[in-house]
Amino acid sequence: MIKVKGLYHSYSNDDKYAVKDANFEIKKGEVFGFLGPSGAGKSTTQGVLTGLLPIQKGEVTIAGYDIRNPKKEMFNLIGVSFEQSNVYDKLTAYENLNFYRKLFDVKTRKPKELLELVGLDHVANKKAGEFSKGMKHRLTFIRSMINNPIIWFLDEPTTGLDPAIASEIKEIIKKEKEKGVTIFLTTHNMYVADELCDRIAFIIDGEIKLIDSPRNLKLKYGKKLVEVEHFENDILKKESLSLIEPKDKARLNDIITAGNIEIMHTKEATLEEIFIKVTGKELK
Amino acid sequence: MKKLWFCFKKDLVLSFKSWYIYTELLMAFVFIIILLFIVPENFDSTRTIYAYFDLKPAEMNRIDEFINESEDEIILLDSRADVVDILKKEKSSIGMVVSKQYRQLDYEIILQGFENEKLKTLMKTDFLMHFIEETPRYKSIVTTTTLMGNNEKLSDRLNMLPVFLTMNASFMGLFIIASYIFLDKERGTIRALTVTPLSVWQYLLSKVGLLVMSGLVSSFITAIFVAGTKVNYIGLFFLLVTTNIFGSVLGLYIASFFKDMASAMGWMYSVIILLMFPSFSYYMPAFSPLALKLLPSYPMLFAYRELFFEHGNISYVYNVCLMFSILSIIIFLMANKKFKETLTI
Ligand SMILES: Nc1ncnc2c1ncn2[C@@H]1O[C@H](COP(=O)(O)OP(=O)(O)OP(=O)(O)O)[C@@H](O)[C@H]1O
Ligand SMILES: [Mg+2]
Repeated sequence: MIKVKGLYHSYSNDDKYAVKDANFEIKKGEVFGFLGPSGAGKSTTQGVLTGLLPIQKGEVTIAGYDIRNPKKEMFNLIGVSFEQSNVYDKLTAYENLNFYRKLFDVKTRKPKELLELVGLDHVANKKAGEFSKGMKHRLTFIRSMINNPIIWFLDEPTTGLDPAIASEIKEIIKKEKEKGVTIFLTTHNMYVADELCDRIAFIIDGEIKLIDSPRNLKLKYGKKLVEVEHFENDILKKESLSLIEPKDKARLNDIITAGNIEIMHTKEATLEEIFIKVTGKELK
Repeated sequence: MKKLWFCFKKDLVLSFKSWYIYTELLMAFVFIIILLFIVPENFDSTRTIYAYFDLKPAEMNRIDEFINESEDEIILLDSRADVVDILKKEKSSIGMVVSKQYRQLDYEIILQGFENEKLKTLMKTDFLMHFIEETPRYKSIVTTTTLMGNNEKLSDRLNMLPVFLTMNASFMGLFIIASYIFLDKERGTIRALTVTPLSVWQYLLSKVGLLVMSGLVSSFITAIFVAGTKVNYIGLFFLLVTTNIFGSVLGLYIASFFKDMASAMGWMYSVIILLMFPSFSYYMPAFSPLALKLLPSYPMLFAYRELFFEHGNISYVYNVCLMFSILSIIIFLMANKKFKETLTI
């Protein structure tokens, strides 16, 4: 559904690239995550893919449309949610959606139904300008699905939302995925990437370092650890021990023999730890 | 077409919730009030003469006759000192003292002191002429011929309307449309529109429509209040529509080169100042260099003026309408092309 080949983008039109030589393909129904720290080039990539930023170098096709000369009808097929909410402050939530749906030539969803989906139905007739940041973000989010897009671009869909609302949003994304919607999402939150994505691209300083599924990444880069809490001379100690390193294995043996164990469990490496290992940088 | 209409409706709703449209209406009302209540129908060209006549009552008969015939307002005072005193307060007046020395009349003209030589000479000649005309068998052979075909003149008040209408169409529109675009850019709402099947031209045209509408409303109100029935309203409608479209597409084109209002301001301002120059020619027809005639506001001013003449040249007005329509289409296409690259950056 999405094909990107040799994509570069520079805001200053020189060789200071915000995105460098990006190559990837996203299959129909796949959820593809761009994971990287702030300033990595995630939003820039989404900007080029959705035609907001001019394509300077490389090739991008979205649902078969060349993004260099996009046909207007392509926009009936895609939905775009923005990092910064951009609704009309002077219009109510309902008016915002109702105006937006009229711009499409395809069947659209009812504003009321969408507002209910994210718990904004009780403020449907309130001006968006009086909304909190999170409420505006939710309005921007549901607006992007009003035309039943088959390709859905989500820039930081859960960032800045409280955990309960964030998990609601994640549920909505999962439901759309079940319907077969192809999703491109950007995030700097590895839990979100882990939970939602079929494949993840690690991006840093504009470069994609690696693309794989969360499971493969964990198998490849994750080391098995055991965490033990035990008493030694009446003092509670907490240790993380590898099941591969001989020294750690011997130490674990000693602790088990001593028999003063309080808690013991195995732990998988998180995507964050893998990210640091692969890129040498933190996901901040 | 349907999308354009929805977009226009939305822009219209939003415009009533922002203050730009009210600025334009307010300007129109301020202008109406100034014209109707402060500016006189015609600027006064008569002057007041304070005079003291040191003559015997019998000789005053002739003087009364002189006062009645004069175009100037003559106020009689009781002494020369009174004349001097009042002149100190009435800076635009002059004084006159007439006394009889032996058998001849002695005229003394008291000026303010800042009058230039030219004026002094003119006044002297004026006085002399007055006496010459009185001499028996004097015959004037001066004849006056008007070279211009239409020598109709507007009252001073009406004469200001074309200037206002031109300003309203070409300057206000230019600024306000740019403000709307930059507001959408700043809020990011334009990005949301760009990822829908709405075309850039539809977005831009909807804004032009909005500006033309507010231009029509504010201009019509002004014309109705100030000129009443002394206007060709059909011609006015077409000229307002075409010149307001022109002003707003010009604003669009300038705005298409910049990322925000602050950086566009310099150019906007320069263009507006440039467009104001032809009003010099409007008030001083003798000063009409080609450079001014080439500016679009030149034909705009004169076309508006024709509408207020009783026998105005309406075909000139429609030619100007046609010219602005063609120019507007060209500029709109250029703005559309440029905005396709710059609208979401
Ligand atoms: N409008 C712009 N003009 C110039 N440079 C920009 C612009 N937007 C982004 N950049 C630069 O491009 C680089 C990538 O930015 P981008 O917004 O794509 O990062 P991101 O991965 O989305 O970060 P975040 O997680 O903070 O949203 C950054 O170095 C940023 O400074
Ligand atoms: Mg971003």
